[in-house]
Order: sequence, then C-alpha cells, then structure tokens
Amino acid sequence: MPELDKQNGTTLGRLLGRGSVGHAEEESGGRMRATIRIPVDELVFEPRVLVLPHGGDLELELINDDMNTHCAVLPSNGDSQFIWLVNHSRGKAHLNLDGPGYYWYASRTGNDEGRGLTGAIVVSGEVPDEAKLDRPPQPRP
Amino acid sequence: MATETEYVDAGTAVGQQTLSAVVGRAPAVTKGVNYERILKARSEPHNWLTYYGAYDGQRYSPLDQINTSNVNRLTPAWIFQCGSMGMHSGASTYSFEAAPIVVDGVMYVAGWDGWVWALNAGTGQELWRYKHASPYDVSLCCGNVNRGVAVAHGKVFVTTLNAHVVALDAETGKAIWDQVYGDVRAGESATVAPLIVKDMVIVGSSGGEFGVRGHADAFKLETGERVWRCYMVPAPGEPGSDTWPSDGEAWARGGANCWTTPTFDPELNLLYFNTGNPCPDFDGGVREGDNLYTDCVVAVDPDNGQIKAHYQYTPHDVWDYDSTMENILFEMDGKKCSGHFDKNGYFFVLDRTDCSLIRVVPFVDRITWGEIDAKGKVTPKVFPDKEGDPVHFWPGPAGAKEWTHAAYSPKTGLFYCPVQDIGATATRRRREFKESIPYWGAGVNVDLEDIAGSISAFDPATGEEKWRWRNDQPMCASVLATAGDLVFAGAPSGEFRALNASTGELLWEFQCGSGHHSSPSTYTIDGRQFIAVPTGWGAWTEGFLPGMLGAAGGAALIAFALPEK
Repeated sequence: MPELDKQNGTTLGRLLGRGSVGHAEEESGGRMRATIRIPVDELVFEPRVLVLPHGGDLELELINDDMNTHCAVLPSNGDSQFIWLVNHSRGKAHLNLDGPGYYWYASRTGNDEGRGLTGAIVVSGEVPDEAKLDRPPQPRP
Repeated sequence: MATETEYVDAGTAVGQQTLSAVVGRAPAVTKGVNYERILKARSEPHNWLTYYGAYDGQRYSPLDQINTSNVNRLTPAWIFQCGSMGMHSGASTYSFEAAPIVVDGVMYVAGWDGWVWALNAGTGQELWRYKHASPYDVSLCCGNVNRGVAVAHGKVFVTTLNAHVVALDAETGKAIWDQVYGDVRAGESATVAPLIVKDMVIVGSSGGEFGVRGHADAFKLETGERVWRCYMVPAPGEPGSDTWPSDGEAWARGGANCWTTPTFDPELNLLYFNTGNPCPDFDGGVREGDNLYTDCVVAVDPDNGQIKAHYQYTPHDVWDYDSTMENILFEMDGKKCSGHFDKNGYFFVLDRTDCSLIRVVPFVDRITWGEIDAKGKVTPKVFPDKEGDPVHFWPGPAGAKEWTHAAYSPKTGLFYCPVQDIGATATRRRREFKESIPYWGAGVNVDLEDIAGSISAFDPATGEEKWRWRNDQPMCASVLATAGDLVFAGAPSGEFRALNASTGELLWEFQCGSGHHSSPSTYTIDGRQFIAVPTGWGAWTEGFLPGMLGAAGGAALIAFALPEK
C-alpha cells in the first residue's frame, strides 16, 4: 500500500520500519562507514535500515537534504550521540555497537520520530565463540 | 538536491550528557575499595559497599539514627529521575530493580536499558552516566531491568541486557574493559548485579525461559580475563547428569540460570549461587528426573568454579519455581546456617557447610502444588501433566516470594520476608524447541483476584512466624532491616513503609508515586542517615501481580532522611 509509505497518505506520518535497506562498507581494519540522508519532504532516513556486517565502530555521515531542520539521537556504547541537522547540513557521528541485534535511532524534534524519522541499525553476526554455550548446535526458527 | 558546497557543517555528534547538567566526574572514592574492605563491609556502615550490604546477604545495617522513635519524621531529601528516551526494548516494562551502592558519599546505581549513574549521595546530583547501547530485539523474559553494580579498585562493574560485563572507570564512567559472556542469539541476557570476590568479578546468566544452559562466570576485575565458567546443568557424564534423560538434549536446554547475586562465606571459601527453573518451565515430560542443578542452592569454590555441594528446593520443578532468591548466611547455635524463602512457599534453613537441611516450614498461607515434610521429602500434588488441561495451583509462577530479597537482623534474630500469596493456572502446551523462542511448555494465567501479601517475620530457630504485617496485595520488593529496630518495605501501590522490627507495627509510610520492585539500601554522609529507595513499577508485572498491570509506571530514586534541624 503506497499510501502507507508517505506523509499524509492513509496515515498522518508514515509507518516505521518500512523502506529501503543499505549496507555499511567495511574498511580493511574492520571499521565501518555509511551515509544516511534525509530527503526533501519524505521524513525518512535513507536507507531506513542500515545493516552492519558485525559489531564494532561505525563512522556515519548524516546529510539533511530536507527543507526543514531535524536531528538524530543515535545509539552508541558509552552515551547516545546527538547531532542537530539544520536544513541542508552535513555532519558525522562515531558510533560503537557491540553485538547482534538491531537498534532504533530517531530525530527527536517535533514528532519526527512518530512521523517517520526513525531508522534502524542492524548488527549482523554472532557473539564470540567464548561467549557461546557449551552444547550441541540447536535448531533456530 | 543541494550541492555539496552548500551544506552547512553540522559538525560531529556529541554525547548526550554533554547537553545536560552532568558533572562528568566523581571523586576517587572507590580506589581503596578492595576485597578486604568488602569482607568487613558491615564495619563501615556509612557505606553500602556490595549488593546485599555484606557478603552474608542479610540486608541489615547497623545504622540506628533513624529508629522507631523518630521514623515518623522521615522525609524525602532528594529525588533522582532519568525516565525513558526513544525506542528501547521492553518499553512498557522498564523500571528500577537495583540496590544502590554507596562509597564515601558517592552512589553508584544501574537502571534499565544499559544506564549506570554516579550520584552525589547527599544531594542526588548526577556526577556521571554511562549508557550501554542495548539491542531493541534482545530476548527479555521479565522486563528491561538491571539489579545493580559492584565497585572495587576504582572501577564500577555492570552487566548489560546483551550479556556483557563491563568495567567502568569509577571517576569518569568511561568503559575500561568489556567482555561478552552470553549468547543473545540463544536467548541469553544479563540482569544480575556483579559480586566482587578476591580479584574477580562474579556474574551469572539470564535466559531461563528460552531453553538455555545456565552458568556463572568469573573474570579478573583488572583485565576482564576469564577465570572460569560453571555450568549449572551438567553435561552427559558429569556429576548430576543422571538426573536428566540419558537420551536427547534436554540437559542442553535445561535452564538453571543464576540471575541474582550469590552470597559468599569467606571462611568456607564458598559462593552460594541461586539457580533458576528448569526448561521448559511447565512441561516435565521432556526432562524426566530431578533436573540438577535447577532450583538449587549451589555451593561453588570461587577459586576454580567447581561445585562443592548443593541442595535442591524443588526437584523436577513443573511450576516455574526458580530458587534464584538469596541464601542468607547467619549463625545459629554455633552452626553456620543459611536461610532461604523459596518460590515454592517454604522457608529452608540449611547447614551451609554441606548444604544439608536443618529445618523447612511453610511461610505462606496457601500451598497446593505439593508438600514438603519436615525431613525435606517433596510430594507433588497438583501440576500441569496433561496436554490442554488447565491446572490451578498456589503459589503461582512468581512464587510465594519472588527474587526480591528478605532480610535478617542479628539484633532481633528474625528473618523478614516479602510474601506473595497469589496463585495461577497453567495449561500444558508442548512445543518444539527453537533457539531464542520462549520455551515454557504451557499457557499461564496468574490470578487477578483472591490475592494477598505480607511482610512476615520468622524465627529461624523454630520456624515460627513471629508477626505479620498484612497487605491487600502481594509484597514484591526487597526489605531492609536496620539496627533502628526497623524493617523497610515498598508496596506495589507505591507506599514505602517502615515497620517495627519486633512487632510489625506500621510506623511510617510515604507514597512514592509508583510501585516498588527494587532493593533499598542505607548509608550516612557526615553523620546523617539516608534510606535510598529505587522505585518504579514495571518488569514482568503480568507474572507477579497482573492485577496491577495498569498501575502507574515510573522510575525515581528517592533518598529519605530525617530533617537536618
């Protein structure tokens, strides 16, 4: 339903968690890089789901192409990271995420986070072998 | 789209705490905290150095400035709040479950979703904060919670929802080392408050509702190097493995998680771990046998992680009767004993030198699941053994006492227990095991009506109930006993209360605005005694008191004291 994936279609904002998927690039040392943009009048982060190949350090470039001001509160070990993104601005964030699972981030200004500017960072992979249970391989869903 | 040259430079993202009144640094008070000081923690009652206040787990303080004669003047001195920000796991369940640690005027406390704070214990001012990024989709049976931190050698130790143990610089809150000790893809997580023993930090795993194999782990506190892991379900061929089916892999999914902090006897050199339910919780047909070391106290040598003794409180549990609640160490008639109020409704007094039974008595009015006689013989009576057949029993899966802790006062010689008198109906539904999917083997409804609770005082020498302070609802928070002849206890409806330790008389109460499911502690600063009370109604309310599922949430830490003048 395209009307669910736009501003002021069926919904007032747009449903969270839908949309494009992007992948971080991995440098030789394991550090990761990615770029996330906010397109004009879309109220979404693009890509809306960013997939990392593993946990670790991510250098994220954030570009606001929109005609309005937004921000981002991003997950990172130690402290959440905040960046203010005025119209047509560009910044970066250094994040550390340490394991499998996914993490939401959002623009907290106005109700951006309810209207679509909520994105996900997915960390792929497994925990280190030494942290795993000593048992035979078990079935997964 | 704008061209690159037109972009305004937004700079680099900054830590959120730089946009707050956080000081950023705490005094170096924990540098001198070491094993020797924790051994004698009760000799410095102005501090609350370790999870239970001391290794014995008594949750008793020799402080007596606040006492039966003046407690009616107790008033809030300060309040700390953090609240919830953004989308985080278990968003409807977050709350405090911690016991605040206090060292020479600085409080260290962990919250939900990876938060750790250092506070000025006299004013509540936030000195530093640490936030571990927790996956939104981590498996959590029982809420976005954490039971607190340990401190030593200038470090603060905390476990995380995604099963890490992290050492923080106690002056800055910055991470020094970080070790993964559980597998989130297997359904493991971590909520336990660590314990410092010798040069190690001791932790345990959560995940007993997901068919994991429970374990405790020890790491070098300086480096994070692993020292040992002790599995609480034996592998085939190991001692105790004959209590599991000889064919299949029931043992590999057997549970027995250690998600509350152990107590420790330095003379016997034994850690007393408390283990959780077997898996699947209610379907015993796939795991015939006693299922060691589920629902046990397990005495472990801290130097090598080897099991030295055990006592199983509920053999072949099919009621979800974790025994993760504390084993309180005390002396009686010259004997080294331990006292334990189990989910199954019985109060056990053991000889802790070998974990043999001295006395067992019921501590709640309604027990229908089965019976334990004076010699410890267990006779199950009501349990979900037929597929699709609803079975009602008391106590329900939250137990006649949950993980929240009892206290023991050496001054009165009495144990004080938060009692939950609430039943449940379980309907067995066998299911296939898959990693990370809940593995209960039943559908469960906990009673909404005909429930009760109390703070009850027991004499361990006789098992006699000496007094009972009755509440209309189960009591679901840890109690605190002091030399001021007081027992403090928080209620689900928000009241924090002080009772006379000798009579149970209600002496004072304060409405905190949200229910209690944490562990208060006490300390002094410049001679003024404080009672630190983490509040907030959340966690797995549907399991221990669903009749209060719609009660007000919150998460405030309130410090009470007598007026200065």
